[in-house]
Amino acid sequence: MPSARQRQLRTLLFWAVPALLLLLPLATNAYTQFIVNGMLISVLVTLGFTLVIGNLGQLAFANTAFFGIGAYASAILSAKLGLPWIVTIPLAGVLGALGGFLASSAALRGIRSYYLAIITLAFGELMRWAYLHSKPLTGGTDGLPLPREAMFGISLSDDTLKFYIFLAVTVLLVKATLNLMRSRFGRAVMAVRENEIATASLAIPTARVILVSFIWSGFVVGCAGALFARHVGHVFPESFGMLHLIASFAMVLVGGLGSVLGAVLGAVLLTALPEYLRAFPGMEELFFGLIVAAVLVAMPMGLASLLRRLSPIFVERYYREES
Amino acid sequence: MNKLTSLMAVAAFAAAPALAQDAEWETQGLTDDAITIGVMGPFSGNASSYSKALIGMMAYYDKVNEEGGVHGRKLVAVQEDTACDSAKGLAAAKKLISQDEVFMLQGNSCSGVALALRPTIEEAGLPWIVAHAVSDSISTPLAGNIFHGVPTGSANGRAMAAFVLSKPDTENVAIIEHSNDWAHSYSNPARDYLKEQGVEPTAELTMERGQTDATAQVLKLRQNKPDFIIAALYEAETAIFLRDLKKYGMGDIPVMGTAGTDLENTLKRTGDFDTVKNYYVIHSYVDNLDGEKMKPWGDMIHKYYPDEELSTFSFVSIGSAEALVSALEAVGPDLTRSKLIAALEEVRDFDTGILSDPITWTPEDHQGVKGSAVAGFVDGEPTVLKAWGQPY
Repeated sequence: MPSARQRQLRTLLFWAVPALLLLLPLATNAYTQFIVNGMLISVLVTLGFTLVIGNLGQLAFANTAFFGIGAYASAILSAKLGLPWIVTIPLAGVLGALGGFLASSAALRGIRSYYLAIITLAFGELMRWAYLHSKPLTGGTDGLPLPREAMFGISLSDDTLKFYIFLAVTVLLVKATLNLMRSRFGRAVMAVRENEIATASLAIPTARVILVSFIWSGFVVGCAGALFARHVGHVFPESFGMLHLIASFAMVLVGGLGSVLGAVLGAVLLTALPEYLRAFPGMEELFFGLIVAAVLVAMPMGLASLLRRLSPIFVERYYREES
Repeated sequence: MNKLTSLMAVAAFAAAPALAQDAEWETQGLTDDAITIGVMGPFSGNASSYSKALIGMMAYYDKVNEEGGVHGRKLVAVQEDTACDSAKGLAAAKKLISQDEVFMLQGNSCSGVALALRPTIEEAGLPWIVAHAVSDSISTPLAGNIFHGVPTGSANGRAMAAFVLSKPDTENVAIIEHSNDWAHSYSNPARDYLKEQGVEPTAELTMERGQTDATAQVLKLRQNKPDFIIAALYEAETAIFLRDLKKYGMGDIPVMGTAGTDLENTLKRTGDFDTVKNYYVIHSYVDNLDGEKMKPWGDMIHKYYPDEELSTFSFVSIGSAEALVSALEAVGPDLTRSKLIAALEEVRDFDTGILSDPITWTPEDHQGVKGSAVAGFVDGEPTVLKAWGQPY
């Protein structure tokens, strides 16, 4: 466990990284800034996913559904109701949380393992069907464009402005999740993962723990959906399919299942990697697969385990590596 | 007078950096011997087969380069993968515009990606010729720098209806379609055209994707006795529908299909010539793929891409590449982005020799190709037709 001094260093590091990132736009162009913005969105998606699948230990794959709900909520509220996009971020989070509540109902009914996986996958596909067939609301296969908008006199198509907003939302939600996982609730989440019956025998309301975990996961990923809607400016049903789910799952595993730090590392690496692989047209998918496999073979506990070995300041409270 | 001169000098001095910046932007991606063109397409992912649509254009660039280029400048393509995904497509566009600093863009399959790219490219202002994606919304409403070089969904839909009405004594027209936007992108413009000609469809039926039987729809059509049927269906469902039409003794009613189906592939699916003998499809070219008029284009592709297996997609982007080269030639050696856009807007009735309809771009309308030919079996042979009974 880290000492008090190391914990102070960790806090300093947590705030120093985003503080340094504030200077990043000085070194980027529109393309690299766009990629960095995509990384921040991926961080939130992976964070929400790892909370349920890694920390809570539920084989639930409704993550892409939450993401789509958030994105469409933001697009619909902006395009149809004329709300400023910034206002739609928390609202998209709330609707994502509602999605989390619905997804948790299967888990609360005692459905586990592969059965839960199939039900949550079906939930995602059902949502995609809804986006496709609710044309007046979602635009159907043509998708839904977000209206052009400005903040502080700067157009929201500006990737630098978006970066600062995305960074603020990401830091806020990562910090909130870290605090949640370090709390008594976080301890209960880990206990449910380890042994749900034993946890219930200690008078811990396991149903409530599962419910709140899904809701928080839905909120975080719903907010990420709102950021994504503005990031691409036009929301399409295809963006929320199986491919996105597989990519998010790979990010969780490469970063380290159940680790907040791992969510950040996995998201950053696997968002950047395909862009580097653009230099190998036609071979991108092959190289991408090989690199992901190599990382997992070399570091089965993900990239976060490497940092934990380097220094105890990277050890997350209540986080336990699988043996 | 002196005061005025001084003021003008100060104003010119103040405006100089902005003008220099404009001048730099105008010739970005341009050197004395090269014009860099960003080519985006789905080179990976589920829709990577659509990347074939860029082969013809690339081969045409190679041909032009071998012949000395345009005013001494070679056409240098910088390819970027969109994977038919809007986020990846945006990354590709931003890379080409802000990092590779290409002079212009050409290409793009996947209408969804192109729609997502539109605001970014419109804002960037560089010329973009869409060479495959068909959604009307990519180029309508008008964006000053975006040009459509293939028939759009509405052009194809209207061409379908025009062909149907070219059959003498056609009054009773039925429509069968999927309930998705793809189908509506054909059927709605077809409906509009029919209405303009005073014809109201007498039956409008739906056949869902994945349906393996069309008995219910065919029986309804039997009561209706249409002169012609417009079918906005994917190829698999088209084959089922045609099979059931024949089964219920309605195989003699002509059926007009979309560009999403291929005449010979549909025959392969049904395995029965009688089912497709009255089936017609949108065909954007002047000849059959293995016809005499297409042979030089096929040879050109094989010269630069010997392993390319030719399909309908392989030729689709050649016409817009020809129109581009014609506009570049018209501008002359003193090329800028604004001059190219102005020259593209001067392209009128440009006969590409491959597309069935000419390309015309005006300052008011950047959807260049307004129609399409039709392919059908005549005397057992696939034939390209201008109108009913009129070979191309």
